[in-house]
Amino acid sequence: MAELKRFLVRRLLTFIPTLIGVTFIVFVIAAVIPTDPARMWAGGEKANPKVIEQLEKEYHLKGSILERYYFIMYKLFTNQMVSPVTHHYIWDDLAKRFPVTIQLTLIAFIYIVLIGIPLGIIAALKRDTWVDTAVRIFALIGVSTPVFWLAYLLIFLFFTQLGWITLAGTPKPDYSITGVPLIDSILHLDFPMLAQILQRYSLPGFILGFMGIGITARIVRNSFLDAISADFTEFAHARGLKKMRIYKHILRNALVPVITVLGLQFGGLLGGAPITERVFGLPGLGSYMLQAINQFDYLALIGAVFFVSLIYLTANFIVDILYAFIDPRVRY
Amino acid sequence: MKSEHLPIIEVKDLYVNFYTYAGVVKAIDGVSFTIYRGETYCLVGETGCGKSVTAKSLTKLIRPPGRIEKGQVLYYREPGKEPIDLLGLSEEELRRIRGAEISYIFQDPSASLDPLYNIGYQISETMYDHGLISSIKEGFLKAVDILKSVLMPDPETRVKNYPHELSGGMKQRAVIGISLSNNPRLVIADEPTTALDATVQDQIMDLLKKLKKEKNLTVLLITHNMGLVADMCDRVAVMYAGRIVEEADIYELFKNPLHPYTKALLKAVPNPVKKIDKLESIPGTVPNLIYPPPGCRFHPRCQYAMEKCKSERPPEIWVSSTHRVSCWLYS
Ligand SMILES: Nc1ncnc2c1ncn2[C@@H]1O[C@H](COP(=O)(O)OP(=O)(O)OP(=O)(O)O)[C@@H](O)[C@H]1O
Ligand SMILES: [Mg+2]
Repeated sequence: MAELKRFLVRRLLTFIPTLIGVTFIVFVIAAVIPTDPARMWAGGEKANPKVIEQLEKEYHLKGSILERYYFIMYKLFTNQMVSPVTHHYIWDDLAKRFPVTIQLTLIAFIYIVLIGIPLGIIAALKRDTWVDTAVRIFALIGVSTPVFWLAYLLIFLFFTQLGWITLAGTPKPDYSITGVPLIDSILHLDFPMLAQILQRYSLPGFILGFMGIGITARIVRNSFLDAISADFTEFAHARGLKKMRIYKHILRNALVPVITVLGLQFGGLLGGAPITERVFGLPGLGSYMLQAINQFDYLALIGAVFFVSLIYLTANFIVDILYAFIDPRVRY
Repeated sequence: MKSEHLPIIEVKDLYVNFYTYAGVVKAIDGVSFTIYRGETYCLVGETGCGKSVTAKSLTKLIRPPGRIEKGQVLYYREPGKEPIDLLGLSEEELRRIRGAEISYIFQDPSASLDPLYNIGYQISETMYDHGLISSIKEGFLKAVDILKSVLMPDPETRVKNYPHELSGGMKQRAVIGISLSNNPRLVIADEPTTALDATVQDQIMDLLKKLKKEKNLTVLLITHNMGLVADMCDRVAVMYAGRIVEEADIYELFKNPLHPYTKALLKAVPNPVKKIDKLESIPGTVPNLIYPPPGCRFHPRCQYAMEKCKSERPPEIWVSSTHRVSCWLYS
């Protein structure tokens, strides 16, 4: 276990260069685009030269690339960076939006796990029957359906026709443990609040997870079939193990590739969040990023990218921990 | 042939097909043989002739698309008592026999072991599921003794090792340990050394010989290696394209092979009994078992083939009480 702890600490330390790298790349891309940010911020063509000059000074726009990068990161982390566009403290804005995106991706992820994995197992057990084909077609539909189209279709059904869901506001309890309302309301056993949150988030979560459900089902199916037809399964039959025990061997082996895929799916969810948040009017990091891009507010963009990367890294960190428990071949 | 002629397994007229997209593979086509208690019975033949399928059929380990079409596998649990037909048993009844009374050792030890569980656990669970021990923990203690008996170096440490931490030879020792953990009567070893280095092969075969003697096992050995056959076996059956073409005791087979295929096979490998000058390959190719040749399945490759061989299946001819051959030349 001491080994595991060392591994985890080392793994956590790799967050630092990754986060620096990601934010630096976004910054460089923003910095090399041939525009004049100060002029854009000050109002475009007809901007007052005095204001432009002041902005340039305030945001160190004339410095070297490294200087500018350091300035942004330092100000962001000490919460001294005010967006030149919204005039809010960027860190405050991000902290407010962070839980929205977390909840959205968590719910999407729950759909993927709760629907994708059982579908995959059923398809594997009923391989080459119509059930298997149906899952295959479902997966194909999942990857080829435009998200916004499906979103509007389901909004029409569940909101306009059935009235099961809400499309405005972001439910938030007045207590806070983790800062994520979904988790807090569960910890508090506050079911009315949980119901509100689910009403608001379950459809966007489903839309966001839709593509992943099908992909996951296919991967689960294939890794199950691999495990079922593996030599060690044949040997398990040959040594007369009980059925349930053989299933245990199959399940555990089949999970190894599935966990990797689930970790990667998380990245896909974060990438899909901007569109889903936009369609459903959810004030999360994704819609914040879109807004920042439109307004050339790259300071806000870098901050948002930092948070999104943090979520992704954490998801992969959890995957690594699971790996270490499931697969003895993983060396740390 | 020791064993006072008491049979342990009697396979009667076994047929196995595989229903593939390309067609029905008639993999086993009327195979019959008897294994006597205490002997080592060998199945030899070219790749794809049906040795593994025969071995797996004995306890109905054939999985779809394969199906056992016909036949009986009579298992004499107690010497001289009434046999049971294994092919007629329920899945649960078979499970209790597999690994406990009839156990297997497969070709590739790296693939036979579950990579996610340590060796001790895999030995323990095999005993636990057959009711030999009352907890997996107890099994770990016994597993150390079992690993000792298969000459695993440093068994106290190895018992907690995962398969990837062992060498190929050690893995096969672990597999043998698993197979023998319930004190089976019959061990079916399907090319147990093919996946191993030459020096390790000898060690594993020596181990099998030693264990066979100690535990009074009956062994069904499947191999390509004629040297191994000469070294280990009491009786040999030569298979060709899903049929047994010749069966004899070991000296008889090497000295006086009758079937043209057996003769060709013995010329194709170094003969441990009779010195031969030059190794010859068998002309022609292994037949497609979806459309097997009619009559004798060997006739397209046989230099003595007659008209009859092309249309009629040769009968089983007993040329002596220990030697049978399926060939029109001897009728
Ligand atoms: N799962 C399967 N699907 C289709 N055909 C199969 C399957 N398993 C075996 N066969 C066929 O059955 C025949 C006998 O195969 P088997 O594995 O018994 O050969 P073998 O004598 O053990 O060969 P080797 O020496 O290579 O192990 C082969 O022609 C093979 O094509
Ligand atoms: Mg084989």
